[in-house]
Amino acid sequence: MKRRDFIKKTALATASTIGMPYILPSGRLFARNGVQMAGHVVFVMFAGGIRQQESMLKRYLAESQGLNIEGNIMYNMLPGAPPELKIVYGVTSQDGQPGGQPIDPILDTPLQLQGTLFQESRYSAGGTGHYTGLVTGVSGNYGVTQGLQARPQNPTIFEYLRRHAGFKATDTWFIGNGISGSTPLLNYSAHSNYGSQYGANFFAPNVTFGEQGQNHLKGFRQFHPEEELGPIQEMREFLNQNYMQVGRNIPNLNNTEEEVADIKNFIESTFERLDNGQIAFPPVTDNGDLSTIGYATEVLRWFKPKLTVINMSAVDSCHASYTNYLQALHRGDHGIAHLWNFIQEQIPEMSGNTLMIVQPEHGRNYASNAITDENDWFSFDHDSDENSRRIFNMMVGPCVDANLLVGSPDNPIGDAADVVPTIAEVFGIKDQVLSSGYLQSGAMSLFDRI
Amino acid sequence: MRTFTLLLLLGTLWLGACKEKTYVYEVNEVNVLPNNSEKDKEKSIPQFISILYANMYQQALSPDQMVDISELIASIGDKQLAYEVILAKFVTDPDVQIPSDTEMRNDIEQFVIDTYKRFYVREPTEAEKTYFINYINSRPNVSPLMVYFAFATSDEYNYY
Repeated sequence: MKRRDFIKKTALATASTIGMPYILPSGRLFARNGVQMAGHVVFVMFAGGIRQQESMLKRYLAESQGLNIEGNIMYNMLPGAPPELKIVYGVTSQDGQPGGQPIDPILDTPLQLQGTLFQESRYSAGGTGHYTGLVTGVSGNYGVTQGLQARPQNPTIFEYLRRHAGFKATDTWFIGNGISGSTPLLNYSAHSNYGSQYGANFFAPNVTFGEQGQNHLKGFRQFHPEEELGPIQEMREFLNQNYMQVGRNIPNLNNTEEEVADIKNFIESTFERLDNGQIAFPPVTDNGDLSTIGYATEVLRWFKPKLTVINMSAVDSCHASYTNYLQALHRGDHGIAHLWNFIQEQIPEMSGNTLMIVQPEHGRNYASNAITDENDWFSFDHDSDENSRRIFNMMVGPCVDANLLVGSPDNPIGDAADVVPTIAEVFGIKDQVLSSGYLQSGAMSLFDRI
Repeated sequence: MRTFTLLLLLGTLWLGACKEKTYVYEVNEVNVLPNNSEKDKEKSIPQFISILYANMYQQALSPDQMVDISELIASIGDKQLAYEVILAKFVTDPDVQIPSDTEMRNDIEQFVIDTYKRFYVREPTEAEKTYFINYINSRPNVSPLMVYFAFATSDEYNYY
């Protein structure tokens, strides 16, 4: 072959290989249209309803209780000095003051300085309710007709990734902080083109490994893979084939047999590690959010998922106790820092290759309600006033600029529905997701907002 | 007198007209069991777990346990997997009512019929019966527990 012919044919072969569509497990042809920006994404829904005043604006008691005391109680995420007076957000101090001892920072450099902060974004449609907010976070659509106790109407980011990027079931995880309030329904939508077969695996680990799990799951029998499971599967296959003739089977996530075995091994191992005190809980773990973060580190360590979504909610105590809200806010910051630190230091496969996104599902009212707590401080609801539509978004990882501040209170940039197209862009399927027709009108990747 | 006789006659005729012959029908006793094609409703989590418990323990699940186990299942995304691990926990309990291997192999046909009734609330078809008799006969390592596990984690068991 002549040199020129060789070069020509090699170039053509290379070009055709690059442009060649992948055949996904779903059977659908697909060509990735973007460059993958990170190997893993961890999206923390810092949910429950956070006011900008106590978070981004660091106003502590100054814009809620009429006390001129400001300060930053999220010092792992944000730069700035903590308050010096009326410290209630920490752990019990040595002299017995409840909340009087702030939790030691975990990170030397706050996440804001390591990444990009959209300090003033919007929750732009629908009522500021938790489930609507969570649905928006995972589906990129406010679904204003979305009901409670129902799966999201529009496809979730898990389904987009499994269908269009070919992720397997254990590549995508949703870690919920409980099973109340429709939380377990967020791992896949009711959409007829997507649904359970593209859903994410889900744990509410405080239940799975909590009292219920201890009583009814721990110590379950692991069947021998060949001698026992093999015949069981053969017999079950026969039974299912007979029943399949009437066209029904159990809705499932399409975990392969290997993935099912892996998840069972994970459950068994987690109970063992729990007994041995080996779960990497944050240094302070005294609420459900923090234990959820601890178990989430186990999921990350074991499965190294491509997408993990973690849900918190303790700040919602603000309906009845502003003091508890401050404590939950401070602990949320602590948990997020622990999570980030764990990824960087304990999971080599994810270290330096993980984008973390943090976003509340919505804000809280500007005006208080009439309920006062033990400090005589007023509480706050979330009734869709303008203040409850104010949120923030923080991204940190290999593909974002460090120490970049985007937007301001006078110039809000970003929307709660933007996270889904952002994650889609990270994994190279932004065009498919944007053109699906299921996103909120105007939703776009945060990278395109910068 | 004539009027009285007329009324008496009319009354007698009226009473006689209302008299109806009574028939008593009887039917043979038939054991009515559903076939699998009629099972089209998915069991809810509490339904599934209480039926599973009853099938395995031959007694009812307490309300507290049902709430706990239902919550546990809700905490795991893959429901099939959740059912499997819950059942795998049940079978570690010595109180679970499972026939011995000897009992099964002494009368495999009856074991298969009983298992279908226990888990599917129906008789096996001839093809189903033949398959299981042959399967168990040809595999000495297959235990009643393994057969039960296959039934309780099958698709049909999830419907009623």
